[in-house]
Amino acid sequence: MVALASEPQSLDPRFGTDANSARLADLLHAGLTRPDAAAQRVPELAASWEFVDPTTVVFHLRSQFHFADGRPVTALDVQATYEAVLDPALASPKRMALTMISHIEAPDPATVVMKLRAPFAPFLDATGLGILPADRAREAGEVTLGAGPFRLLSVTPGDRLVLAPNPGYPEAPSRLDPLIVRIVPDEVVRSLELHRGTVQLTEDPPQPEMLEWLGAQPHLTVKRMPGTSFDYLALNLRDPRLADRRVREAIAASLDRESILRFVLGGAGRPASGLLAPEHWAFAAGRSPRHDPERARRLLDRAGYRDPDGPGPLPRFRLLYKTSNQPGARRLAEAIQAQLAAVGIALDVRTYEWGTLYADVRTGNFQVCALAWVGVGDPDLYYLAFDSTMRPPAGYNRGGYSNPVMDRLTRRGRQVLDPARRRTIYARVQRRAAHDLPVVPLWWEDRLVVHTRHLLGFEPAPDGNLRGLAAAWVE
Amino acid sequence: MLRRVLRQLVLVLPTLLGVVTLVFAFLHLVPGDPVEIMLGESAAPADVAALRHDLGLDRPLPAQYARFLMRIAHGDLGRSIAFRAPVATVIGDRYPATLELAGAAFLLALSLAVPLGVLAAARAGSMLDRLTRIASLAGACLPSFWLGPLLILGFSIGLGWLPVSGRGGPLHLILPAVTLALGMMGVLVRLVRASMLEALGEDYIRTARAKGTPGWRVVAVHALRNALMPVTTVAGLQAGALLAGAILTETIFAWPGLGRLVVEAISARDYPLVQGCVLTIGVSYVTVNLVTDLVYQAIDPRLRDAD
Repeated sequence: MVALASEPQSLDPRFGTDANSARLADLLHAGLTRPDAAAQRVPELAASWEFVDPTTVVFHLRSQFHFADGRPVTALDVQATYEAVLDPALASPKRMALTMISHIEAPDPATVVMKLRAPFAPFLDATGLGILPADRAREAGEVTLGAGPFRLLSVTPGDRLVLAPNPGYPEAPSRLDPLIVRIVPDEVVRSLELHRGTVQLTEDPPQPEMLEWLGAQPHLTVKRMPGTSFDYLALNLRDPRLADRRVREAIAASLDRESILRFVLGGAGRPASGLLAPEHWAFAAGRSPRHDPERARRLLDRAGYRDPDGPGPLPRFRLLYKTSNQPGARRLAEAIQAQLAAVGIALDVRTYEWGTLYADVRTGNFQVCALAWVGVGDPDLYYLAFDSTMRPPAGYNRGGYSNPVMDRLTRRGRQVLDPARRRTIYARVQRRAAHDLPVVPLWWEDRLVVHTRHLLGFEPAPDGNLRGLAAAWVE
Repeated sequence: MLRRVLRQLVLVLPTLLGVVTLVFAFLHLVPGDPVEIMLGESAAPADVAALRHDLGLDRPLPAQYARFLMRIAHGDLGRSIAFRAPVATVIGDRYPATLELAGAAFLLALSLAVPLGVLAAARAGSMLDRLTRIASLAGACLPSFWLGPLLILGFSIGLGWLPVSGRGGPLHLILPAVTLALGMMGVLVRLVRASMLEALGEDYIRTARAKGTPGWRVVAVHALRNALMPVTTVAGLQAGALLAGAILTETIFAWPGLGRLVVEAISARDYPLVQGCVLTIGVSYVTVNLVTDLVYQAIDPRLRDAD
């Protein structure tokens, strides 16, 4: 029995976009490729692939995969699924990520040929899409029949999902039969379910204090591993104060990220230097903001924002900090507010319900806010987040950052296919971002999993997926 | 009686219309776009526009409102944007859980509150009365976000008698129903006691006693019947509130009811689902009010005569 904090909105790989939809769809469906711990693509349905020219990719499928109804997975299924998602009539949120594909062919049952509109290095990141049977790929309703390690037996909306092993999955069938996924929104209650043993695993760990208590229970195990989620302070560079790099650097230098990490996450993270964690294939070690309040004050003085009354109560200037109404987000806001106050920046904290906050972030209606990139994959995210043309709605450049050098590098990074050359390009991108500070890096969150000692063989994944359950069993 | 019910039903329509109109207006005033939430941040503007058109969100607000009302008139609540399913189906999946929890909490609260209130009033000033007053005050004051986990700690973790959370058999129902019922019970006990004390001081009670009517009969038949009028009003209102979904209790006990669904729908800016939920809640309130009216008539013959 696994507990999740919220109900997945869809188990259909064509539609689900929230984290729990992705987690559960990943148990039911198999894609051509999947990411490994270094965010590199590794085989799943596709045994191998090659770029026969810069715009043609050929995938060779494995023959051992079967859908849960017993039919083998063929190239026609892959073609039909991709074509369905690409059809605007389906209104799939995954369509945009596939629009670089101009044409798909299935010359034989074991071969898929994808033609791209132009050379596009991050393309493989889009090949994790779960494959549906060809005859169901265009259905408008929810399709849950897949070729993943589990099949869906039943759903009780808002309460639970019951899964069973897919006999057509090529690896040894899971010994978790059935696998029950329960929706338990309250973190205290999730912890108590774990304590009692009625739930064996949760990937949504509670606040640090509760986690400490859970870790002290003899029948529970808290597993921690480096994660790929990147937490950061988004800054709106349209604000003249934040447009000044010295001010951004002062904000970064004023934060004691180690102590905030301990306070907010119980130490479950590593201070970050940028989007890519050290395990990522394109990571390049670089400058990481260092806690130095004195330097922060000097930078602010130099930028012309002198403290009007020294150690007195008047700030150099005020900024509005928007955040969500989640307990962890509020704690983070309080910590950042206190540390910025120490260098003379007053932060007015406002908490919002997520939909409202998201709308403000999208429209650039913010000065400072804390956000996170969950499960960072291809480094092309740097293009989507920092290229000057990628301001919403085109991309994620919410702060309005613009630097021609960054533009040139990130555009080059998506055209060069050679991984070694891409690594060099992204090393320069990371150095540029560390210098310009379009966002203030906070930390890479660790993955925390709590499970009972009866659950054996489960290995958590850095991006929080639950595939480890396929090899797990309960003693 | 039938005429009265029909009259009430006719009066209900403008009330529901008002509720639905307000929700429609407020939802469209709140920042946030369901299409952007649904398609994600990197969606192509053309896709956003196409889906907005499909959902009718590109039309002027009055046109959207008229379309919404027309659909309701035909019994069509639309499709949920987030769940990609008919709103009626999504609500239908959750409403039985809400009915089950609200019904159990209501019956529990009423079945304990009335006897306790009557006993407290009949023994006014006694130790029983004082204990009942303290307990009812505590029941009314304890917030469910505190009481719920406390009950779980005691009965699920400590004693191991009851499940921690979730919906299943009758055992799963006990803790959430008690959590929900205690607040309502606290209010009702105090109300029953106060109404009974007032009734017991009336002349007709003195007359009944003077005629030699046994004490229990004076209390249970003569006084209680009159004391129940205000209690019925408050109980009806509280039952309506229970059907509206007890968000906190449902969240604590992982109960898959309407309250949690409303919160999820608002977060996703799922306009059709929020409107459907509000309409369902409105109809629930109206139904409870109708039942309350019928109960009035059963208790008070003067109302029957007035018809």
